[in-house]
Formats: sequence, structure tokens, C-alpha cells
Amino acid sequence: MATSTSLPAVERANPVLTALGIVPGVLLLAGIGYAAKILERSINTYAKSHHWTFPNIEYVLWAILIGLFISNTLTIPKVFQAGIDTYEFWLKLGIVLLGARFVLADVLKLGGISLALVVIEITLSLALMTFLGRLFKLKPKLTSLLAIGSAVCGVSAIIAAKGAIDADDEDASFAMAAILALGALALFTFPAIAHGLHMNDVSYGLWAGLGVDNTAEATAAGALYSDAAGKVAVLAKTARNAMIGFVVLAYAIYWSSRGQAEAVTNKAAFLWKKFPKFILGFLFMSLLVGFHAFDKSQVTSLGNLSKWAFLLTFAGVGLRTNFRDMSKQGLRPFIVGALGEILIACLTLGLVVGANRIWGL
Amino acid sequence: MTADTSRKTSPSKAPFLSLDAWAVVIALALALVVKLGVLRNVPW
Repeated sequence: MATSTSLPAVERANPVLTALGIVPGVLLLAGIGYAAKILERSINTYAKSHHWTFPNIEYVLWAILIGLFISNTLTIPKVFQAGIDTYEFWLKLGIVLLGARFVLADVLKLGGISLALVVIEITLSLALMTFLGRLFKLKPKLTSLLAIGSAVCGVSAIIAAKGAIDADDEDASFAMAAILALGALALFTFPAIAHGLHMNDVSYGLWAGLGVDNTAEATAAGALYSDAAGKVAVLAKTARNAMIGFVVLAYAIYWSSRGQAEAVTNKAAFLWKKFPKFILGFLFMSLLVGFHAFDKSQVTSLGNLSKWAFLLTFAGVGLRTNFRDMSKQGLRPFIVGALGEILIACLTLGLVVGANRIWGL
Repeated sequence: MTADTSRKTSPSKAPFLSLDAWAVVIALALALVVKLGVLRNVPW
């Protein structure tokens, strides 16, 4: 559902009406998520009791599949849309709460490794996507948006960059559709490849965080492999998200120097505005745990609350992916995106394998 | 006329908190509720 990833509206209606308006969609997300959990448990129990050899399909995949089925076969009534769009809020809430499951030393160690890899990944991804965009003669600003989306963090980065480089709505929609479609494919290909390569949880989590563009898809791709891989994927993706301001600022300066975007007068204010603030919440939560603000059972409770928040996100990932809408956006941006993503996936896999050899992940 | 009114008032209707800020505030509120023991042993 590419159209649902529209730019954030400035106007807001009555807060009470807004709150009531999201209830049906949130209930739908929760219903799908809970159904996914029940399906996982009951199918496993049934298979075991009948001595069947049946692959364990995680609740994450069920939630996405149910969402995909609904959005691609039924017309979702408008009353659910506002609530479905809250999936991004649940994602951010889940990430902040997940901070409780990280000891600060782990955050610093893994986050440091992630950050080093992220800098290399962003540099190479930007260069690669720019080259492919020129090769396929895409519009320069569409190329910039695709490069930012695939190098940093998908849809949020494209939204942040759109205003800064004064790109068209149409270009932003193209870029978002390509990134979302490829993110959906990554959900199924990344875990399969990693199982084939017998990757450990940390290596795979790093790869998913570095290679999958959108934060929701990266989180889901990590969780599809294992709980531990999901944690690492979120950390690596968060380190990548932290770079959003720097990349968008660089592009804004580039386009303003060509007279095709407004000049950036206060760079520090620009960086702060674009910085994803929920990362500070994640670090603060980790810091609280580091200072023993919570006992073991409380940390478990916070971790479980994080899982519930992610469950709603995964249902939203399926619901907002509509292949029919995506196919309307045209083939060329998708081909450029797909080629770029395949190369970036290979490149990030190489980076992770290299890091594994150096640091023994 | 309605359209004119909404255009004039739109700047004051900007969201009170950003999505990120809401996520942090709610997460901290949940952490407090867990810390105070109001919410215990959240199941999964």
C-alpha cells in the first residue's frame, strides 16, 4: 500500500476524535498479531502430537502473511486506515522498550562495530545507487531519493530528504514504492540465505540491520531468524538510522549549491531536526538497566512489552504492502532499486563476514 | 469560507508531540508502571 506511506500531515483534527479514529485499525493490528501467535503455537502442537515433521513458522511470518493476504485480496475499509498507519509508532515504542534488554556495554561494543560498518555501507550504497541511477537515466532527484532510501533507512529517510532537496511528490512515491517492495522481498530472502550459510545470530542480525532498508522490515527480518538476531538487527538498524541527518544534510547542500533546493542556514539545527529522537529513548532505557533501575523480572516484562509492540508492527508491515499499488509505480525505479539492493546485500554480507573474522562476532 | 478558516488556523494545529517523542514518553511511562509493580510478569 504505497499510497498509505504518504507524507505526514501538518494539520490535526480534534485529539479525542483522532484517538478514537485509530481504535479500529489498532484492534485489527492486534487481532492479526494475536492470531499469528495462536497459529504458531497450535500448528506446532498439532504437528508434534501427530508426529509430523513440519517447519516451525514463527509468529512474525504468520503476522506478515495474514496482513499481506488481507491487503492484497480484500479492500480494507477506510475506517481501519488511521489505526493501521500507527504501525510506525508501535515500531518505535518497541525499539525504545527493547533498550531494556541491552546492557550498555553491549550497545557500545555492537553499536560501535555497527557504526563502523554503517559508515562503509552508506558510502558504498550512495555511490552504487548514484551510478545505477545515471546508468538507467533516472531523474537526478529520484536517483538521490533512491540512494538515500537504500543507504540509510528507507521510507523515513526518503520523507526527510524529500523536503530538504525539494523533490517531487511523484519521485518520492516512486522511491518509497521501490524501497517497500524490495523490503518485502528481503523478508523472505535474507533468512533463507542466512540459513543456507549457517550464519550465527549476531552476524545475521548485523547483516539484516545493514542490508534491509526499512526499519520495520529490518526488525522483522531479524526476528524471523531468531530472537537474538532480531535484537542485533534493531541495534544495527538504529545505528544506521542515526546517520540520517548527515546524509540528508549532504544532499541538501549539494542540491542547494546547484540552485535546486533551499540553502541550509543552520546545520546543527538541521541535524537535530532530522535526528530520530527515539534512539535517545533506546539509549536511555539501556542506561537505566545499566544502573540497575529494574530487577530481572521487570526487565523481562519490558522485553515482553517490546515484543507485543513489534507484533503490531509486523501485522502493519503485511497490511500496508499492496503489490498491485506498487506495480502501478513503474518498472525502471524498481529495477534500479532491485539491482542496487542485490549488490548492497552482497556487499553488506561481505562486510559482516569480514567483521566476523576481525572481531569474532 | 470554511476552507479559508482552516488555512488560517492550520499552523496552530501542528502535533503537540512528534511520533518519536510519543514513543519515548509512552515507553518511559510503561517502564515506570513496571518499576512501581503496577504491571508485573507481562506474559508473552
